[in-house]
Amino acid sequence: MSSISSQEAIKDITGSWQVIQLKRNGEDLSERMALTDFRMDFKQDGTYVLAKELPFLTQGSGNYALNDPQFPFSLILSSEQQESHTVKFQFPVVQGQRQLSLTFSLGCSSNSYEYTFERVNLEP
Amino acid sequence: MKQLIYLYIFMGLGLTLFLVHCGLKALTVSLPKQAKAGERVSFVMHSGAEPRIEGSGKYTTQLVAGIMVPKSWNARKNAVVTFTSPKGNGTMRMIADTEIEPVSGLNWPQAAKKMFGIGPNLVDDFEWIIYRSTQSYSFVNNEDIDFDVKVTCDVGSENMLVRLGFYLGSSIENLRAEDTDYKKFTFSNVFEVTDGEGDLIDFVNPQLGTVQPVKSTDNDIITLTFNSGVSSTVLDGQQDIYLRVHALDESGNQIASVATAEEKTKLIKSAGKRFLIDLWPRGYFSISKDQHIASLEYFFTDASGEKIVGYGNTEEPFKYTFRCD
Repeated sequence: MSSISSQEAIKDITGSWQVIQLKRNGEDLSERMALTDFRMDFKQDGTYVLAKELPFLTQGSGNYALNDPQFPFSLILSSEQQESHTVKFQFPVVQGQRQLSLTFSLGCSSNSYEYTFERVNLEP
Repeated sequence: MKQLIYLYIFMGLGLTLFLVHCGLKALTVSLPKQAKAGERVSFVMHSGAEPRIEGSGKYTTQLVAGIMVPKSWNARKNAVVTFTSPKGNGTMRMIADTEIEPVSGLNWPQAAKKMFGIGPNLVDDFEWIIYRSTQSYSFVNNEDIDFDVKVTCDVGSENMLVRLGFYLGSSIENLRAEDTDYKKFTFSNVFEVTDGEGDLIDFVNPQLGTVQPVKSTDNDIITLTFNSGVSSTVLDGQQDIYLRVHALDESGNQIASVATAEEKTKLIKSAGKRFLIDLWPRGYFSISKDQHIASLEYFFTDASGEKIVGYGNTEEPFKYTFRCD
């Protein structure tokens, strides 16, 4: 086995992602809240764009980075207002599909939200 | 080899008998009916040990005690737990969050929450805190004793009606689901905190209108629930229920309002005659960046907007104040 093939792949999160599940303090709100418009784009140039005004850590657009490209456990989002947020990041494969899961607080620190995204299949 | 197996079986049987016949007495709790906000109050757990040990064996353990109180009391910081018994008195030490309860694999507060829940309370904003005696105590057969565990803590600054949780156990038994001998727990009668700040937080009585999470800001996602089964109202029998809600600033002035019966204000039907709506206040009221919503006043209405239900089935609005711990 070559040394290259045994290396952990660099995690590529570029693309357009849509929220498929939203949990608040473990309670699933997805069935009750309209999530279809809740999209986030991660671009090749290291910037992100949020679809519209949404209950999220930041609004609009900014820069993103993973804390470790191979073994990331947090995602750093820096908005244009220079505020930087570090959120818990998971990147599991569920039924053959990559999912992106972000966990953070929006208001009170006692409330935690887990957003699970799936890649939007764009036209080939 | 065969003898060894018999020995194991015999030991197993012995252990079982020993477990079945030994244990703690029933747990009762003395507490005041009410206290003023900020007051320091004592709750006393009464129990005892009933060691039934075969032969000349001994049972050696540390006393474990737990309380379930509202998070806002900050009891982890200010509660003091002591015990008095014929075998000695002492102050108990809080079990650190890093220590794992062996049966559940969770830490002690989480394990206790999973095992005992929030009892008869209807709204969850509680934490279990578990304490252990610093010394071990040995019991011989029939060495029955009674003991008291006293919890002294501040009752926080919020007005509330609450039923508190109490647990007593033995350190070597941990929190086994099937164990009823060493694991004694109970929830108190209603305890009231008065003369405090903010709206009354009623953990106990079913409410026509509730908000989850109990603590939130205008940037959280909150769920407003209309529990139509709690009492008969003008909205009985309505299939569609709508929210009429006003957002207020710190001075109580209205800064935004969503008051018409439409898709945006329609509640979703849920189990048990409940209707609910999830909303992100900042977006729901289109609040600008420099504005903050301090509180909400709201009603539930029918589609025409003529039938209206307010707090306690009156014409007064339900009120919800945004705050964190």
